Amino acid sequence: MTDCGCDKAKAELEEYLHNELARDDARDIREHMEGCADCSSEFHVNVVMTETVKRACKEAAPEDLRLQVLTRLRDLQSTHEKA
Amino acid sequence: MAVVSISREPTVAELELALMSTPDGVSPVPSLDAPQNSSAEKLDVRALFEEQALPFMDQLYAAGMRMTRNPADAADLVQETYVKAFAAFAQFTQGTNLKAWLYRILTNTFINTYRKKQRDPYQGTIDELEDWQMGGATSATLSTTSRSAEAEAIDHLPDSAVKDALQKVPEDFRLAVYLADVEGFSYQEIADIMKTPVGTVMSRLHRGRRLLRELLGDYARERGIAVPEPTGAGRTTSKGKGK
Repeated sequence: MTDCGCDKAKAELEEYLHNELARDDARDIREHMEGCADCSSEFHVNVVMTETVKRACKEAAPEDLRLQVLTRLRDLQSTHEKA
Repeated sequence: MAVVSISREPTVAELELALMSTPDGVSPVPSLDAPQNSSAEKLDVRALFEEQALPFMDQLYAAGMRMTRNPADAADLVQETYVKAFAAFAQFTQGTNLKAWLYRILTNTFINTYRKKQRDPYQGTIDELEDWQMGGATSATLSTTSRSAEAEAIDHLPDSAVKDALQKVPEDFRLAVYLADVEGFSYQEIADIMKTPVGTVMSRLHRGRRLLRELLGDYARERGIAVPEPTGAGRTTSKGKGK
C-alpha cells in the first residue's frame, strides 16, 4: 500500500467529501486517512459540518403554498385550453 | 374551449379542476362535441408534471428560504418556479434529472428577480478576491484533539445559528455550498445550475465552506463552547471525546 501523503489528501479532501474523485484517487485518500490521524480528523470536521448544515436547512413548504401552486397550474392549463 | 368538457365519468382530478376553474362563474357543463383527446392529453401532462415535480416542493422551498431569507419571498419564488417549469415542461427531456432542472429554474428566477432587489455589493467581485483578503483561516495548525472539539461544537450548534452563519456567507458561495452539501448535486450539475465553469464552482465551494467553518467556530465560541482558534497552538488535553 503506497501512501499518497498529506499534501494530496488535504488538497483533495473536499472533492473526496463530495464524491467527485475518480475511484483510484478516492482509494488513495481513503487509505491515507486510515493511517493518518491528522487528515482523518480534518475530514471528520468536514463531514460533521456538512451533516450539520444539511440538518439545519430542512424546511417544510407551507400547506397553502402547495394549494396555491396547484391552483395556478390548473388555472394555467385552463387558460391554455381557452386559447 | 371555455368549459371543461367531460363526456365520460369524470375523474377526481377533473372534478377538482372543474371546481377550481370557473373564473366567469360559468359552471362547466359536459358537451359532446368537445375535442376530448387534446383536453385529456393536457390533463395528462399536468398530472405527470404534478406527480413528478411537486414532490420537490419542500426542497425547493428550503432552498428558496436560504436564497431570499424570508418565508413570503421563498413562497413566491417557489410558485414562480413551478409556473415557469410547467410552461416549459415540454422542453424537459423525460429521464433526465428533473430535480436539477427545477433548481436551474429556481436559481435563474432568484437571480433575475430577487437579486436585483437585494443588490449585494460583493456581486461580481467576490470571486476575484484573494484568499488572504477574505480572512479565512486554514486549519493546518490545528491538532487532532482540537479538531475533534471543533467537530463536537459544530455538531451541537442550534439550527438557527447554522442558518445565521450560512446567511453571512456571500451569496454565490452560499449557493454553491447549499447545492453541494444540502442537495448533493455534483460539481457539474452545480456548474449548470449556476452557469459557471466547474473550476469556479470548486473555488466557491472551497471558500464558502472555509468561511462557514470559521463562522460556526465563532458562534460556538460566543456561546462559551471551547473551540480553539485555528491560529492558536491548541493546548493538548487528553480528554478527547473517544467513540
